[in-house]
Amino acid sequence: MVRIKNRYLLVNILYPELDDATQKGTPDVLAINQSTTDALKIKDLTGGIRGQVRQLFGDYGSGAISDNLQVKYLSPATSTFILRVSRVHYQVVWAALTFMTSVPVKNGKKCVFRVVRVSGTIRKAEEEAIRRAKEMIIKARRELGERSESNLADIFGKPPTEAEILKDALMVDADDSEEGLSDG
Amino acid sequence: MPPKKATQDSLALVQGQKRKAPPQYSFNGQNHSNRGRDPKRVKLFDARTILAQNSEAALKNGELDLSAFLRAREFEIKALEDGLQKSKTLLTKRAFQQVPRDLRRRTASHNVKRVPKRLQKRAAKEMKDDNTPTVNRKNRRPGTTRGRLRAETAKRLGLLAVKKKAKPKDWKGVEGCVETRAPRPKIRRNQFNSPPKPISKFRKRQIHKTWLPTHMWHAKRARMTEPKNPLWRFAIPITSTEKSYRPTHRAAGARGAVAWDMSYMSTIALEGPVESLKKLLNAVGVNDASLWGHKGDKWRDGKRSWSGWISRDIQTGRVQIGPAVVVWCTSESESTTLPLKRPLRKIFVRIHPSIFLETWEEILRLAKLQRPTVQVEDLRFEIGSISITGPGSTETLLGILHPYHESGDLLEEHGRTFRSLAGVSNPGSLPANAVLAFSIMDPRLRYPSRNITLPRQDDEEATFALLEMLASWPLDDSPPSRALFDRDARFKATKFPTQKSINRRKGQALPGAYPTTLSTDPPIPLMLLTSRTASPASAQGMWTLLAPWKCILPIWYGLVHYPLTSGGNPRFGGLDELRQTHFENGTAFFPVDYPGTAAGFTWEVEQRTQRKAKWERRPKGKRVEWESFDLGASRKGELGRGWSCDFERLIGAKALPDVDGASTQGTTQNTDPTPPKPTASIELKTPVQHVICKEFTSLFSTKTASLPPASSISVVKLTLVKRGIASPCARIYRLPATVTSSTHDSIDTAATASTSTSKPPSTTRLAWLSLLPTPTYQKPLPNIKSLSKQKFQHLPLNVPLPQRKRLLAQSLLQDPPLQYPATNKQGDDHPLVPDEEDLIGFVTTGEYNLAEGKGVAIGSVSVCKVLEGERRAGKGEGASRLCIVRDAGEKIGRLARWEAI
Repeated sequence: MVRIKNRYLLVNILYPELDDATQKGTPDVLAINQSTTDALKIKDLTGGIRGQVRQLFGDYGSGAISDNLQVKYLSPATSTFILRVSRVHYQVVWAALTFMTSVPVKNGKKCVFRVVRVSGTIRKAEEEAIRRAKEMIIKARRELGERSESNLADIFGKPPTEAEILKDALMVDADDSEEGLSDG
Repeated sequence: MPPKKATQDSLALVQGQKRKAPPQYSFNGQNHSNRGRDPKRVKLFDARTILAQNSEAALKNGELDLSAFLRAREFEIKALEDGLQKSKTLLTKRAFQQVPRDLRRRTASHNVKRVPKRLQKRAAKEMKDDNTPTVNRKNRRPGTTRGRLRAETAKRLGLLAVKKKAKPKDWKGVEGCVETRAPRPKIRRNQFNSPPKPISKFRKRQIHKTWLPTHMWHAKRARMTEPKNPLWRFAIPITSTEKSYRPTHRAAGARGAVAWDMSYMSTIALEGPVESLKKLLNAVGVNDASLWGHKGDKWRDGKRSWSGWISRDIQTGRVQIGPAVVVWCTSESESTTLPLKRPLRKIFVRIHPSIFLETWEEILRLAKLQRPTVQVEDLRFEIGSISITGPGSTETLLGILHPYHESGDLLEEHGRTFRSLAGVSNPGSLPANAVLAFSIMDPRLRYPSRNITLPRQDDEEATFALLEMLASWPLDDSPPSRALFDRDARFKATKFPTQKSINRRKGQALPGAYPTTLSTDPPIPLMLLTSRTASPASAQGMWTLLAPWKCILPIWYGLVHYPLTSGGNPRFGGLDELRQTHFENGTAFFPVDYPGTAAGFTWEVEQRTQRKAKWERRPKGKRVEWESFDLGASRKGELGRGWSCDFERLIGAKALPDVDGASTQGTTQNTDPTPPKPTASIELKTPVQHVICKEFTSLFSTKTASLPPASSISVVKLTLVKRGIASPCARIYRLPATVTSSTHDSIDTAATASTSTSKPPSTTRLAWLSLLPTPTYQKPLPNIKSLSKQKFQHLPLNVPLPQRKRLLAQSLLQDPPLQYPATNKQGDDHPLVPDEEDLIGFVTTGEYNLAEGKGVAIGSVSVCKVLEGERRAGKGEGASRLCIVRDAGEKIGRLARWEAI
């Protein structure tokens, strides 16, 4: 028996354009990774992607993803979601995501959909999301140069030294550049 | 599947179903109970949903905020980790799936009573939820009238038994009654001992066999002998249910320990004056000159054991019975009140159960001849034993055996020395055949065993002290304990306190402390024998622990749960593992590798039947046709029967009819007091006689000695010169004779030249010798030029990479690759095997030897044929101790070197 092969895309929604709310000296990390509106439901997201696919690939594209596209996880607070696509057509969806420029709701904000991980199992996608969230926390704290009052000890044990932080940051960059190749 | 309407008829439908309606799950506050969704899927969906926060969580009053941002991420991390965990536990297992690997079973795994106790409750609930509860035999409603009658009778009988038990036993209060000791079991002299009476529940299963003391433990973890077909009248573990070949090799050689319950070994006790015992032992072949002289003093004092072959006299000469271990009880000290004129001494003779009957009869006959007479006792179910080998074996024993008197003057010298053995990694490093005898406390008081403190590896002083102690061996001056030889002491040792009271005492002890021994705790007499393997000095020796039969079980529990410092617990082994360790040490295993003895030949006959049955089970097209199979040079058919080590054919005797296995009962030990079968039948059955290694080598070294009878065989170890392995039943040939008139024009054309004649070509001897690898002293020159000329074999590490690549390419191109698919004429370029006149023997054990990293086999060869072959061999040919091994049903023979063992 042949298994149905899927790909899981871990996608971040980024807001590179600064609007009024973020004018007054908030760090860029927070602004870029800000939360997405609650109006974005799973239905809207899939609808938006489907629309974009139809626009780009026509009937072929929408047919290819119609029965397989599914949002496995959507977290508006952190602007992260995990998509499931069939293995053959995941690039179609990826391309559609690349061409989407706003949150697919009414009067949606301008945004960028960034595919950060393509994996064969949802488990790996989740692990990657965890890793990224941890990195994000470090990044945000470093950028602000201050300690958050929230209790991070249970996640990190002890606060990381400067060298570790630097290493982490370097790792982030290396990963980013390889992202496009690491599908598979 | 779920009911459509909650009406009465649907309820009835539910009751009629075997599996009840599954529990309903609600999801997101909605009630799905009537929606008809598969509950399993709901559960799945539930577990796979990952919690997510709304966007408000990352904002503070609608504005970006660092702490809120961080908290949102933290929540995400938690949620995702939670989700991972949930989806993992979703694949929950049933109780019987959680049983440890080695305890897992396939049959009746649904039966609650067959899972370990700790899982039984859970399993019962699961089965009840499935509406398939395990039926309790007592509560089952009998289906038939007869069944009901039987149940009623059983119930009434049970009530009667309870009444009978409830009768007051308490005579203590009654006047005029004397308290007596518990009756000792009788051991009748010169008669067979009967096995311990099993509890009624298990009695029926032990009619034709006896269980080892650790039977229950082993039966769950090992493949045992078939119930209807016990081995030597014992239910013996054959092999572990887990994969165990390589782990056993590691545990026995590199790190860890392997233990066997060897309680099936038989012990015979002899009691009499020294002179009578000496005469008796001499008559059974314990007649080494060194044993009875000054050198044997330690042995006769019970400080060393003797292991060797025992034999018996028949009209035509001596017949080897089998290996035995003889231990003396130390002589009573001079201070005893009644110095007898001829003090009685005791000895133990420990033998394999397959030769028990033969030995027993012989010893009994001899004992009656002695004046003053020697008393013989059968201690088969009286003394049990455990064998343990491996680098961790000494550590394990130290961890579980605690001398009865822990310190002070009462501590026996042997116990003290034993405690100081920490750090010994090979029992063979003790003095050869050393004996330690002392008493230990109840092992359950020290259970679960803890790690002992070993001296550090780099602590030179401690190592030196240990080595010095081993060399001087202080125990040579102190007599070993005699308790194990004393029936009273053995019996008292088995009267240990109940598990309940032990548990209570453990509970009362301080946390982390062991309970102290009380005066009511009986000491357990113990004897530890060491043995080393002969061949490589570095090979692991073996500890043998002798203790009263009933004390084996608590010792065993402690042993298998001991936490080794090298990690893990000691492994346990079955018969296969025992055979394997013998094989890896290069020693033969009794009785398998000794077809020259009665016991060994019985084994061989049994194996024949099994192999033949296996062969007959195969479809005709897929099995070797022994009659028509081609040996090259137009020779057809296998030599002898292909499924057997056909010694009858080798010596030209009449072949035994293919036995149906019924006659195999003859030499198994007889636990019934009924008169055993006469030994004459054994003699008839054994066509070959075993010649022990010493005699064989002496015959071999003296060129002019007269040839022994044709039926004498000896055990050899074969090491294959090149690749390949030899399996059991493989045929062993000597090198064919050289024909002087032949022209040695070419050795490679052996196969082509021979097709016309029926005789194998005369040049085969040279062809075989050409297979010998060149002696190793011609080392290749280290410079690269010469290397490139040679075949690509061993490049030094400093060869630069381009050079290396080029050489590799060259070597690959030089040898044309092997053809694929392989041609049918495989082996046609191989020298042909010799004729039947050069057949000298058969392989009894053979496989890939992990210890040596190549094919090794143990076989038996006809002594006179080997001697003939060696005498006709030319000098300086390098052909000494060479032979050819060919698997049964194969054409290719392989060159091997043999050595007597």
